[in-house]
Amino acid sequence: MWETGAKRRLLLAPAFLWLLLFFLLPLGLIVVMSFAERGLYGGVRWTFGLQNYRRALEPLYLWVYGRSFALAAVTTGLCLVISYPVAYYIALRADPRWKHLLLVLSILPFWTSFLLRTYAWMFLLRVEGFVNTTLLALGVIERPISWLLYSNFAVVIGQVYGELPFMILPLYVALERLDVRVIEAAMDLGANRLQVFRRIVLPLTMPGIITGTVLVFIPSVGAFITPDMLGGAKSAMIGTVIQNQFVQRNHPMGSALSVLLIVVVLVLLLLASRAARFASRR
Amino acid sequence: MNARSRTSPILALWMGATYLFLYAPILVLAVFSFNDSRLLAVWRGFTWAWYKAALSNPPMLDALRTSVLVAALTTLIATALGTSAALALERWRGRWRSLSEALFVLPIVVPEIVIGFASVAFFGWIGLRLGLLTVLIAHVAFSVSYVFFVVRARLATLDPRLEEAAMDLGADPWRVLWRITLPLLGPAIAASALLVFTLSLDDYVITSFVAGAGATTLPLRLYSMIKTGITPEVNAISTVLLVVTLALAAVAFRIEQRGMTRAHLVLVGLILLGLVGFAFGDLATSRPRATLNVLIWSNYISPRVVRAFEERTGIKVNIETYDSNEALLAKLHAGVVAYDLIVPSDYMVRILIRENLLQPLDLTRLPNLRHLDPSALGLPFDPTNTYSLPYTRGVTGIGYRRDKIAGPIQSWADLWDARWRERIVMLDDMREVFGVALKLLGYSLNSTDPQQLRQARDLLVRQKPLVRAYDSANFDQLLLSGEAWIAHAWDGQIIKARRENPNIEFVIPREGTTLIVDNLCIPRSAERPDLAHEFINFLMDPAVAAENMNEIMYLMPNRSAWPRLRPELQQHPIFSIPPDVLRRSEYLQDLGPTTVLYDRYWTEVKLAR
Repeated sequence: MWETGAKRRLLLAPAFLWLLLFFLLPLGLIVVMSFAERGLYGGVRWTFGLQNYRRALEPLYLWVYGRSFALAAVTTGLCLVISYPVAYYIALRADPRWKHLLLVLSILPFWTSFLLRTYAWMFLLRVEGFVNTTLLALGVIERPISWLLYSNFAVVIGQVYGELPFMILPLYVALERLDVRVIEAAMDLGANRLQVFRRIVLPLTMPGIITGTVLVFIPSVGAFITPDMLGGAKSAMIGTVIQNQFVQRNHPMGSALSVLLIVVVLVLLLLASRAARFASRR
Repeated sequence: MNARSRTSPILALWMGATYLFLYAPILVLAVFSFNDSRLLAVWRGFTWAWYKAALSNPPMLDALRTSVLVAALTTLIATALGTSAALALERWRGRWRSLSEALFVLPIVVPEIVIGFASVAFFGWIGLRLGLLTVLIAHVAFSVSYVFFVVRARLATLDPRLEEAAMDLGADPWRVLWRITLPLLGPAIAASALLVFTLSLDDYVITSFVAGAGATTLPLRLYSMIKTGITPEVNAISTVLLVVTLALAAVAFRIEQRGMTRAHLVLVGLILLGLVGFAFGDLATSRPRATLNVLIWSNYISPRVVRAFEERTGIKVNIETYDSNEALLAKLHAGVVAYDLIVPSDYMVRILIRENLLQPLDLTRLPNLRHLDPSALGLPFDPTNTYSLPYTRGVTGIGYRRDKIAGPIQSWADLWDARWRERIVMLDDMREVFGVALKLLGYSLNSTDPQQLRQARDLLVRQKPLVRAYDSANFDQLLLSGEAWIAHAWDGQIIKARRENPNIEFVIPREGTTLIVDNLCIPRSAERPDLAHEFINFLMDPAVAAENMNEIMYLMPNRSAWPRLRPELQQHPIFSIPPDVLRRSEYLQDLGPTTVLYDRYWTEVKLAR
């Protein structure tokens, strides 16, 4: 209907220009800035070199990246393990009348503020928080457990809690599309449940798994609020380190760390999309 | 075989556990918003008090208004742009298509922290003033992609024959768009609009970078509230927001299920009208004579003092907060920020002067200057007080719980005492934390010697396993709640906490410490320097200063006000620092390029186990 290029371009132009101007250009700016130097009192000195990247690739920062990717991996893994049975139940086992309600209920917490959900966990996990007070009152423990908050445990809990809906939804979509007759055929041919799952359900839902993984992994790598609030600012994550560069007015270094982060994320995405294509072709 | 007949109990249990995990935190939060106790997670009886407090908290309501306004505008713009882009790219093959798709994918896959960082660098570079506009621009930029992909997914499932039929019947393309395509896309557009509204309403990370004067959104306000004290007031606000979002989601759910009926349209219209009415509500009610934008540390000015000034002059004072000098500088650097009054610390005043970011004060318009203690004037960072006047002075020290920690605390070394493992809190402030280690080693806290800094780092790495958290805002609350027993702390908050629990003590360690003067300064870019002068003079009035001090519990160098202070402040440790300790104490200085070294070692400390 919109055959003429002119009309199409007119429709496309506003969004395209907006992103070009206020998204791509800023990214370009930090790419340029990542080769510059920190001025004596902050600010940017436009002399170009690779010094920021040399620094960013030192073991110190590689460790920071490593930790962030580890956090993201653990978060993604847990989300996957928790979500898969839930999505499976909603998509294939639940009474059709309750299906939609269950789905909505599973993603509803996403509609509330991430900050408040994180705060809720602080409220629960403090030394004199709900969990400890309840366990003390029940006589389960004698002294409050202190590692509940300001620990890696707390960061992972908060992160999983925040990202769970992003895993459930794509898994549900993938499982919903699954043709139940294929499963029945396999069972009729004598496959047991494990075989059906491994040989049929898992491969067919691989695109959903990959989508969910991407949706959970990316925000978790750059996580900033959970390490700060639930981790007690005790562990360096790439998000907090980049933020600190900004605070310390070292924009060039912050830019270099950001550019590296984007590059790694994009490479992972490329791999994921390859994997998805491979999985769906089989 | 009937697949639905057998649901294993394990699966049912799994479902239950997951939903419990999803809802328990929110429910507990909501229940305790009615709890009649400020600090405890133990039920003490029912009260509405926190709701009253939250709903009569003007900065909170202002922030909510700002958020709704930004979210509504973002939704409008992003939905229009995203939908038209999706229409344009539908069934269009070629170069532009893949190029545009790549462009639309980027905002979804680039981590938020990078988007925020890049945006603020960009706004600074083109010289755009940080404020509502920059927040709006950034929000549209990160949310337009979601609309694009949701609408496009729906477009792909549309039957092209419907449009073709309409065309064959003689409708022109615009008519087809209006009468056929858009109505069919309705649910997708509505869903993506709702998504954008929530994303915008909830965004903290990007907004924290690009917000300027008058653009404090609800998440920014909530973050600083959470950081500066966990009170049930936050629970109450959460519950209100929760109920509102649940209602919105319920409406969306019904629309999705039953299709958009006229009644729904009216309902959605009413909700939108209500929101817009709320957002613009205060514009209609009272037009203040003028607005003074103040950027100050959190909990650093008495709300009653602010109200008194507003009532006396008819000027509206807009208070916004920051939590580090560097964040303040970043705001000033990033763009031309429209703040009229800022409160930088000593070393930062020097940097701001050097960077030409301050304007000279007109001392003739400040008659109350005569009340200030001469010893607080003419300090090295601004020897002639051309650009700054002292607001408060303070020290860094140790706050601790006398009832938990036996024996007198006298030294920074007590923060390394393994007996208080997991009960020690350090400030989340690079220079202050290194200052402690350097002082303990007998060095200057402004050391630039790499050897000394390495030693300090090693000391801090050794301390790390004992530390419960690094926290610059909440350390008083952590002491009060018993989460921590001993804290690296600034004086005012600890002395304030003593009012709630007399077992809390504040000491200045014998190795010497950081001396702090926070100053009233007017940025060069201020829009109303006249009002700023009026306010500075008001703050130096002895009666006002006394009321202010008695509330925030930080000491001001206002000699005429001292006799009116509370006893706790009259006995402030600052008045009785032993001369040798004072001699070993220093003001922080800007260390220029050595900052990079500090940053590196700070990251190493944070990485250590």
